[in-house]
Amino acid sequence: MARIACFVEKYNFSDQREATALQNFQRTAQRMGHEFNFLFREDIPEIPEYDAVFIRATTDPLFTSYVVSKTAWELGKKVIDDPESIQICGNKIHLYDLFEKHDVPHIPTVFLNKEDLHHKRLVEVFETLGKPIVVKAPYTSFSKYVEKVACETSFRDVAKRYFRKSDMLAVQTFMPTAFDWRVGVLNRKTLYVCKYMIPKGRWKHGAKRRGKPTFVWGRTVALKTENAPSKLKEVALKACDVIGHGLYGVDIKEFNGNYVVVEVNDNPSIYAGYEDSRNTDLYGKIIEYLVD
Amino acid sequence: MHAMKPTAFLNSSIKDFTLNLNNDYRYLKTGYYVSVHAEVLGNRVIPSSESIIDASRTPILLLKASKAKIPTLPYLVTGSVKKIISELGFPLVVFAVNPFCYDGFRIAQNRSALYRAVKSLSMNYKFAVCAQPLKGEMVSFKSVFGKCEMEGEVANISMKVFEVFRLPICKLHVQKVGKEAYLCGLQPLRMEEVLPADLEMASEEVSRMSRKGEHLVG
Repeated sequence: MARIACFVEKYNFSDQREATALQNFQRTAQRMGHEFNFLFREDIPEIPEYDAVFIRATTDPLFTSYVVSKTAWELGKKVIDDPESIQICGNKIHLYDLFEKHDVPHIPTVFLNKEDLHHKRLVEVFETLGKPIVVKAPYTSFSKYVEKVACETSFRDVAKRYFRKSDMLAVQTFMPTAFDWRVGVLNRKTLYVCKYMIPKGRWKHGAKRRGKPTFVWGRTVALKTENAPSKLKEVALKACDVIGHGLYGVDIKEFNGNYVVVEVNDNPSIYAGYEDSRNTDLYGKIIEYLVD
Repeated sequence: MHAMKPTAFLNSSIKDFTLNLNNDYRYLKTGYYVSVHAEVLGNRVIPSSESIIDASRTPILLLKASKAKIPTLPYLVTGSVKKIISELGFPLVVFAVNPFCYDGFRIAQNRSALYRAVKSLSMNYKFAVCAQPLKGEMVSFKSVFGKCEMEGEVANISMKVFEVFRLPICKLHVQKVGKEAYLCGLQPLRMEEVLPADLEMASEEVSRMSRKGEHLVG
């Protein structure tokens, strides 16, 4: 019997679908004969008492979840997400730099620093990537801090905002598609496949309603892993290979018959009735990996 | 040896030992990206991007330091004031766990001071804080390649921290209790805090390293 700690924050329970998924994890672990406890921020000193740590709170090298991950890692525990994955996936500059080095097919990307924010360079960027372009802050998650711009003025506007926190940002070609593929990968094997549909009239899976703080999300259509195109799975696994052995959600666009990686996320969202609807065994597989 | 500006290095693909000299190694800042880029290129680099993140996160700094036999005090990572009081008592020194700021610690002698400290360091309870007991006096000083203006045990800590984390320039917070000294925290320096004397010390160190046959970019 192993003791598993699942690091969560209060917001993980605010969405019923996510709360149910967390309960599914707990039930599956208990059925397999393991102990599965939710670990909140106040309980961090209890990490040494556990055998494995599973992080479900949003990860970023600046968040408490990184401290949890690194502490567990230093103590020799099995961790999802491990600190290195958080470090790489949490920073898109790091991620695309690795993709470039290892020839992972990805969306054409240019990095910009603060000194590049002048007319000549911006014209160059528009020439290489076309119009419109997508500006991405390195710390983007849940479709936030990604904006589409079509002229220099709005480009400068967005870039200035993102440069407040980060000294670099990524600029990418705009590729409109009806959906993004999401491939869940665990320990270099495909775990689940789904389509994240883009809401009507929008260009990304999660888009803010104009004038309102709420988000509108596209539908999630799950597929049986074996029914997904094999080329898609190959590209997803290749992208994860440059990062590590953990649990990842790879976003892939299908464009003119080619598969290009948009990004690899650590800590992929798992909602009951969505990602798991065609691959119900994903809970068991993750628990198995944690206690292995 | 070849010296270059960080932005030039970020656009290059030079494959060589890289010494990344910067006053501010905070995550998402240029100093961080230089180390990341060097690592992606496969270069040996000082400091590593992992050290950059870990050194400025107080609980990880203390965990790694104590593993390397650097004296530290017991610490508590939590967002709860009650838990801090019940487990550590007063007086206390509190550090931010999520460093967005340069001047990171507060001393709390009583309950209300602790509430104020936790509220501000946790950014209104959004993040956790790292509390340690205050047994002696806090000293803060600059460390350049592990060298500092302090003496005895404190200087020893400065050297050891450099051996573990390899941050060329940083500020250290150490607690002095009689003859003993304990590491408490580490922070980046503001540009204006780096004095010409520090730069001289750094350049001496750089030329010493290059005499040993190392190639430097930074």
